[in-house]
Amino acid sequence: MPRARAGWSQRRKEALVGYAFVLVPMSVFAAFYLFPMLYAAYISVFDWGVRGKIEYLGLANYRELLDDGLFWRAVRNTLQYTAEVVVLQTPLGLALALIVNGKIRARTFFRAAFYFPSIASSAAITAIFIFILSSDGLVNRVLGWFGLPADTSWFGDDRFALHAIVGLNAWTTSGTIMLFYLAALQSIPTDVYEAAAIDRASRWRTFWKVTMPLLKPAHFFVLAVTIIGALKVFDQAYIVSRGEGGPNYSTLTIVLELFRAAINDLRFGYAAAMGVVLFAFLFTVTLLQRRLFGNSEAS
Amino acid sequence: MTILSGPVRVGTPARQRVGRVGLYLALAAVAALFFVPFLWSLITSVKTLPDSVRFSLWPQHPTLAGYRDALTTFNFGRYALNSAIVATVITACNVVLAGLGGYAFARLRFPGRDALFLLVLASLMIPDQLRLVPVYQMVSSLGLVSTFQGYILIKLIEATNLFFMRQYFLSLPRDLEEAAKLDNAGYFKTFWRVMLPLAGPAIASVVILEFQGIWNEFFWPLLILQDQSKWTLPIGIAQFSFAYQTNWPPLMAASVIAILPVLLLFVLLQRYFVAGATTAAVKA
Repeated sequence: MPRARAGWSQRRKEALVGYAFVLVPMSVFAAFYLFPMLYAAYISVFDWGVRGKIEYLGLANYRELLDDGLFWRAVRNTLQYTAEVVVLQTPLGLALALIVNGKIRARTFFRAAFYFPSIASSAAITAIFIFILSSDGLVNRVLGWFGLPADTSWFGDDRFALHAIVGLNAWTTSGTIMLFYLAALQSIPTDVYEAAAIDRASRWRTFWKVTMPLLKPAHFFVLAVTIIGALKVFDQAYIVSRGEGGPNYSTLTIVLELFRAAINDLRFGYAAAMGVVLFAFLFTVTLLQRRLFGNSEAS
Repeated sequence: MTILSGPVRVGTPARQRVGRVGLYLALAAVAALFFVPFLWSLITSVKTLPDSVRFSLWPQHPTLAGYRDALTTFNFGRYALNSAIVATVITACNVVLAGLGGYAFARLRFPGRDALFLLVLASLMIPDQLRLVPVYQMVSSLGLVSTFQGYILIKLIEATNLFFMRQYFLSLPRDLEEAAKLDNAGYFKTFWRVMLPLAGPAIASVVILEFQGIWNEFFWPLLILQDQSKWTLPIGIAQFSFAYQTNWPPLMAASVIAILPVLLLFVLLQRYFVAGATTAAVKA
């Protein structure tokens, strides 16, 4: 804390105090957020190992990325995961919001219950799902009751593993989406529903013709948030595949491949190039969303 | 989906009743879907190993052996302590730094303030994945891999918290500060005696969300806290599942241990979580 010295103007003192108060936060942001962005770009043009730079490569890391079948596999997996999870969790979140926005008993309790998975440890939830989806787990028991094949190892079979992660994350995240929609639903004035009632519109019709159009800003916001979140999927893929992206690379996501390149293969330059490409992609998605739909956060 | 929001009821009374029964049936089914995984892990955590793969709703020989094994043999006591240490220290740092910084950005005038605040917002846009390699390289150059200091250093202050505190201070009336100024109180004293006590609800939100965020975090501890003695609960759970995949009772016990504190916080202080969900959206 700078001590005030006699003769200093009040403004100068205020400015000094201001700088002092933001000094540590700004240093952290500069050192661990803003500088790393440039540093990542720098590292990405080198063959860079655990002891630092080895050789200048120009754009060779990026060219290698273009020809890397595994990287493209990760891109395909991530896009497929994103499409599936968004299609699954958005209607689920909206349905939950509609249910708990209605006049039901104990709705605060249900809101809390549906939201809770969103704030519980991803590692713990993944462990629980590994158990439930194991070959002698709960899901297979239930399938067995209906005479369905009941010995699938969901995370151990390359036909199902990625879809199982989709299911797990849709289950976890739909509560957050519910909250977003709930906020939007509560901002709809009740008189539009009264008008619909006067017109004797059915509930079904009122939902599609009144509620859905009014939720448009919320849809865009939810889509933007969930797509960007889904493109960064990592924890669950890492844990169910022991950090390998298996079986048969079916759960290898972009961030998991980036992590493997850096930490398992110690190819920092190559991993940094992957990070730059992912950032450029995420940034484009964000800009596109802002440009197309305006700033819908206000809703 | 025929469930409508809004207070207006349409249709005949009979149809309405059918609708309500359907609504509660749907609600019960969905609620079961949300509870069963947690319940199943809780039940399994008090089962014996052979019992754990049998389909029995209630354990045949209820036992706390899963918890004992998890906490002692498999070191989850240590991991829980590590989680508590880093979450507490990081939360404390975030409260202090976000409070001071948020106050300065909201109330003090200094040249370059708006430009600096833009940098705060810019750092919200930089994804962790881009930061992975350079930040790991920096932590490694400082010799801080596998130390709590390394992890705490990169988490000292998160831009969302600073942003949140600034917004809160902006929403407070200026009268009280003016009064303090007339009393000739210094800036720090005004902040400490007047502004901080008024910011109670905002601080509570930061405390709860930051603690929960660090307690649950997987990505950065996995990267920085590589040595087993420094693992946090989520890392311990992942590593245990890699090593002993089918030893379910201790794995479920560890999961319960990781989930329970957040559940308690949530039950007691729910409104702060919900308030924070909208802030979390700013991050994305």
